[in-house]
Amino acid sequence: MLRLFAIPAGLIVLLVGAMVWSGAAGQHEEPADFVFINRDDINTLDPKSMSWLQDIRLAYGIWEGLYTLDTKDELTMKAIPGASKPAEISPDGTVYTFHIREDARWSNGDPLLAGDFVFAWRRMLEEPGDYTYLLHYIKGARAYENAYQSRVEALTNGATTRPVDFADVGIVATDERTLRVTLTHPVDFFLDLCAFPPFVPLHEPSMRKIEVRDAKTGQVTYEKNFTHPPALVGNGPYRVEQWEFKKRLRLVASEYYWNKAAVKSHRIDMLSFAGPETAFLKYETDSVDWFAGVTNDVAAGLVAKGRKDIHIFPGFGTYFYSINCRDTLPDGSANPFKDVRVRRAFSMAIDRKPIVEKIGQLGQPEATHFVPPGLFPGYPTPRGTGFDPKRARELLAEAGYPAGKGFPEVALLFTNEGEHTMVAQNVGRQWHDVLNVPINMGGVEVKTFRQRVHSKDFTISRGGWTGDYNDVSTFSDKYLSDSDNNDSDWRNPEYDKLCEEATVERDPAKRLALLSHAEQILCDEMPIIPLYHYVSAYLIRENVKGIPLNPRNMVMLHTVEVHH
Amino acid sequence: MRLRLALVRLAQFPLILAIIYVLTFFMTWLVPGNPFERTDRKPDPIVIAAMEARFHVGHPAKFLTYYPWRLLHGDFGPSLVNDFTVNEIIGESLPISVTLGLFALVIGIVGGVAIGALAAVRRGGLFDFFSLSLAMIGISIPAFVVGAVLLIVFCVTWKVFPIGRWGHFSDLILPGVALSLAPMAYIARLTRVAMLDVLSSDFVRTARAKGLSRNMVIWKHCLRNAFLPVLTYLGPATAGTLTGSFVVEKVFNIPGLGAHFVNSVLNRDQTLILGIIMVYSLMLLGLNLLVDLAYAFFDPRIVVGAKS
Repeated sequence: MLRLFAIPAGLIVLLVGAMVWSGAAGQHEEPADFVFINRDDINTLDPKSMSWLQDIRLAYGIWEGLYTLDTKDELTMKAIPGASKPAEISPDGTVYTFHIREDARWSNGDPLLAGDFVFAWRRMLEEPGDYTYLLHYIKGARAYENAYQSRVEALTNGATTRPVDFADVGIVATDERTLRVTLTHPVDFFLDLCAFPPFVPLHEPSMRKIEVRDAKTGQVTYEKNFTHPPALVGNGPYRVEQWEFKKRLRLVASEYYWNKAAVKSHRIDMLSFAGPETAFLKYETDSVDWFAGVTNDVAAGLVAKGRKDIHIFPGFGTYFYSINCRDTLPDGSANPFKDVRVRRAFSMAIDRKPIVEKIGQLGQPEATHFVPPGLFPGYPTPRGTGFDPKRARELLAEAGYPAGKGFPEVALLFTNEGEHTMVAQNVGRQWHDVLNVPINMGGVEVKTFRQRVHSKDFTISRGGWTGDYNDVSTFSDKYLSDSDNNDSDWRNPEYDKLCEEATVERDPAKRLALLSHAEQILCDEMPIIPLYHYVSAYLIRENVKGIPLNPRNMVMLHTVEVHH
Repeated sequence: MRLRLALVRLAQFPLILAIIYVLTFFMTWLVPGNPFERTDRKPDPIVIAAMEARFHVGHPAKFLTYYPWRLLHGDFGPSLVNDFTVNEIIGESLPISVTLGLFALVIGIVGGVAIGALAAVRRGGLFDFFSLSLAMIGISIPAFVVGAVLLIVFCVTWKVFPIGRWGHFSDLILPGVALSLAPMAYIARLTRVAMLDVLSSDFVRTARAKGLSRNMVIWKHCLRNAFLPVLTYLGPATAGTLTGSFVVEKVFNIPGLGAHFVNSVLNRDQTLILGIIMVYSLMLLGLNLLVDLAYAFFDPRIVVGAKS
């Protein structure tokens, strides 16, 4: 009889032990002033590796760049001086001198120095990340990055090379609190870049403690978890008190932040959710003040119900299909899409209305061009080509495929998730009906999708682009002939030339005209078929102030205030 | 004898783990996709090269030889995608999954044995019919459906439990119940069949004839014998609740190992995939051994692997 009870008793003892071990036994702590659910979970808090919106949002709370974002105008959120006083810019627009504020401090009390920026930017070149290319506007930065990587490679293989000299790079601390940055050419939006998280400073002494030096190459990297407390030292409004993986991240106001009078919420919790459905239920039933990851159908349902806490506003990107413009398709056969008439025919065959209404559901603007309208004041939006099935059939006939006869099967590549599948089905059906061409639907898992897109292994593929910084070039650069992100592999010398002229043009109006002219070429040549422009949806409780409805989804956490 | 058995089985562990490691390794390297391409944007090749060099994942052959060495030291290395080391991720989430799994197992065993025994005793009655239907439902409805229904009823409509939290006993109840239904149903059926078998055996009749009360017979003689098949099932049941928990973890937003496992595969986070697989394997091997030993302990007539 005793033996019979041994098993349940043993299990219960194990269970109690496990509960204590896993922290399920209960704990007490101060509630937060402001609780939010980010768009998705944090990927990284290493500024050099950041590329996701949810990471960048937190970075604005933890660090502060030379410049920061002004929440006063929620549409543009212009760059304003942050850790630095207003920059002095040389008359030719290539030399920026920043004077760091005397009262700017790190979260451990150390003063913020110009050298901290040099250290961080240098590390960005030596240990490059997704946004390192933005530093290439700085004189000598690209050359240094390449030379450094070549040297590491050579040393790894046992060869000997000369050390690489950082003195040639235009990033110089002229004294403790002065940073001089020299650019390769005038860059109108350089101050916007200075407000972008990959450009934040890093606290050198705390990083030195966790450096890892490669014995062979002498290359220094840092323990990946330097982004956790207590190793993490920032210079922004908050310090990270606790980061529990995929569970919660807690920010507490930094006592050393120079502008701490402007910090509204002193304790902020960011909760992590594995799926938007559970996250939405959490918002509906618990004290969450802001939910930034509302899905389209949930948002559409709430709008229909007339809920006051749902906010829909224009986004900073476009959903489109990329057309492979190479001479041959991946299987070696001739590519019919090399002919611009075929590309135009495929675009004109799509009625965007049902896509926006049935799948998008949130009043997304139909797109016939690439750069979303209304984001850049003064930018003349070019003329695109809309739905015209008759002309589409004519164009296809002119290209040698009357009534779609003889047109090879079109391989349509997309990620087999949510809206992407539905959009692909809709578009595929329309092409089939209007142009009478055979479509092969290829829905694949996302990593496979990326690999195939990046190796141009597709005929037509779904695509999307969200801008990074407040300038048209964040869109137009994508279709430069030498761009890594030119997925269509479309090359147009005139387009390249216009974009290049725009980079050196100092007159803002003329510059926008040049870029608009370039986009007109893109619209006429159609290496992409724009479908719609993104919109965003937030759920914000009515007692919350200070979350701007900004197209780039930027939020400065310290300006958020919850009236309890 | 038992000690020898345990030792032999333990000695087999390294070989089994090595085979699992090599198989997993090849699978993670064969699937297309790169852990360092995090968004739809194509990073500068120099970025990818630098990352691959840093994590020693540029050449599969190099990694195959370099990584096991770390593993032997108990160091699973950094996650290729997250800011945490694999040790930290497993260290934080394994206890959570184990707690949830154990809790579900306790509910499953207690509930299952009780329902099964009662059903057998009241054979053919309303309760029997009820328990059989319940068992049928428990086996057929997947845990994520049960989980979602529980979530909507108890968290959204009635607001008895909070959503997506971990740190209190109440956070354990709903996911535990959702996860326990399948093993509970299975155990109930096993117990019922075994119980019926025992109830009709000679020694029970003798015991009753001897004048023992009905309850005494059921508790003392029948249940004990009826529990044996349940015990055999505990090994697979443990494996099932531990590995099957990822769906429930996702529904209830519990930061357990299952969710990280799925994400690691989606992210092609090779070190995390290998780390979790190795931990899971070790755990399952250990548990199976434990169940076999418990079997021998529970019923001395049985000597596991007696012939060898």
